Amino acid sequence: MYIIVVGGGRLGYYLLKALLNEGHEVLVLEKDVRVCKTITDELGSVCFRGDGCEASTLAEVGTGRADMLVAVTGDDEDNLVACQVAKHKHNVPRTIARLRNPQNAALFKKLGVDVTISTTDIIIETIEREVPTHPLTQLMSLDEKGLVIVDVKISTESTTVGKMVKELSLPKESKLALIIPHEGSTHVPAANTVLRAGDQIIAVTSPETKEALRAALRGI
Amino acid sequence: MEFKKVLVPVVGSEADGEAMKLACRLAKKDKGKVWAVSVVAIKRVLPLDAEIDSEIRSAEDVLDSVESVAEEEDYEVETDVLQAREVGPAIVDEAVERGVDIILMGITYKRRFGQFNLGNVVPYVLKNSPCPVILYQQ
Amino acid sequence: MKIIIMGCGRVGARFASLMDEDGHEVTVLDNDTYSFRRLPASFGGTALFGNGIDEEAQKRAGIEEADVFVALTQGDNRNVMSCQIAKHVFNVPRVMCRIYDPLREEMYSALGLETISPTKVFAQLLKDKIDKKEEKAED
Repeated sequence: MYIIVVGGGRLGYYLLKALLNEGHEVLVLEKDVRVCKTITDELGSVCFRGDGCEASTLAEVGTGRADMLVAVTGDDEDNLVACQVAKHKHNVPRTIARLRNPQNAALFKKLGVDVTISTTDIIIETIEREVPTHPLTQLMSLDEKGLVIVDVKISTESTTVGKMVKELSLPKESKLALIIPHEGSTHVPAANTVLRAGDQIIAVTSPETKEALRAALRGI
Repeated sequence: MEFKKVLVPVVGSEADGEAMKLACRLAKKDKGKVWAVSVVAIKRVLPLDAEIDSEIRSAEDVLDSVESVAEEEDYEVETDVLQAREVGPAIVDEAVERGVDIILMGITYKRRFGQFNLGNVVPYVLKNSPCPVILYQQ
Repeated sequence: MKIIIMGCGRVGARFASLMDEDGHEVTVLDNDTYSFRRLPASFGGTALFGNGIDEEAQKRAGIEEADVFVALTQGDNRNVMSCQIAKHVFNVPRVMCRIYDPLREEMYSALGLETISPTKVFAQLLKDKIDKKEEKAED
């Protein structure tokens, strides 16, 4: 794949290294001449000095044949414009933008950016996962489908302990995928599967019904 | 100083011939090997392995002409066309790969924006070369 | 009309006072309060500290009731992003965007923003003036 990375800061630099290791053709676009020199001296001709938001720069580096453009500068507005120019001027099939402000995620999607990544959101998800008492943890988000994969823990206080799956009133968009019991083997839940304390349930749901699903599964 | 392996990057300038002459004479006393390389820079619009016949042909012409210079000096050289994104890194990589003792480049006096200018390639090679570099300015 | 202007530079401040004099309800947004010194003492509108590419800041400036949003900061990308928020999130009826880079200006104009490139306009203006002089000389 030919991947263009806009922004040669720390994130861009490590991304470049990782992608090169995976055998991709990668090019970093960076405005700062000193940053460019450092990268070129270390990694060879994989850095181009120029503004990744400028259509002419993107044309020069062959963005038309790129499979993906990843914008990871420190400014949301620059990342947005780089992705939009790549998409609308050069028909890049996939654009990814880094977000500083997580609230911009919806706006960027609306404006045609395929994927957004917010470090703030990632850290929050990790914290949730690390806190064992937290009853619901989001494991993954399937952005294009508008779905999330979550992990709900059934505790001794849950009023649903002893109930069968068919007795639960789950939100419409939710599907239970897997039950990982405290002891014994992992199984796929059926209508008459009984919930036990210590069960961990992996489920697919929409982001809006996440909390309703938690309430239905735990009964509290 | 030994001249067992000499790399002579050529670009088709007037200085190429003189640089080649010098390389042959230096290598002769150590019975060293001389490589002449010409780099075809591939624009990013194209994939790196794109074959641009016209560019390759002109690179080969340049190599043919320095080869005949070497013949006049009664010395044998090996020639190679390299394909890369940038000329400087390609020369340095080649020098590393072949483990050469020295890089010998001919340059002409050039002006850019009304001032003396060495371009990008020469400073890059000087900065990153794994071995000594001799510049011959015509 | 209710007008929101993002960026209180020379153009922003001058435009704000012109619209204010005409009796419009003007709010100027800038992320540096020092810029507001450019507004004349007679300015009757609102000067508000805030970052125009932030939806919250736009709300505070009253974007939901605005008739016109104009982006006049030094950064093309900031202007583009704030205008797209005003247009696509808050459905402001008229959104105008200054974009210095002519290529970017053409693209966003094609994408439906009302754009002006001062670079293009001024270069053309200079050329027209020179051409006119020459025509006169020929006559």
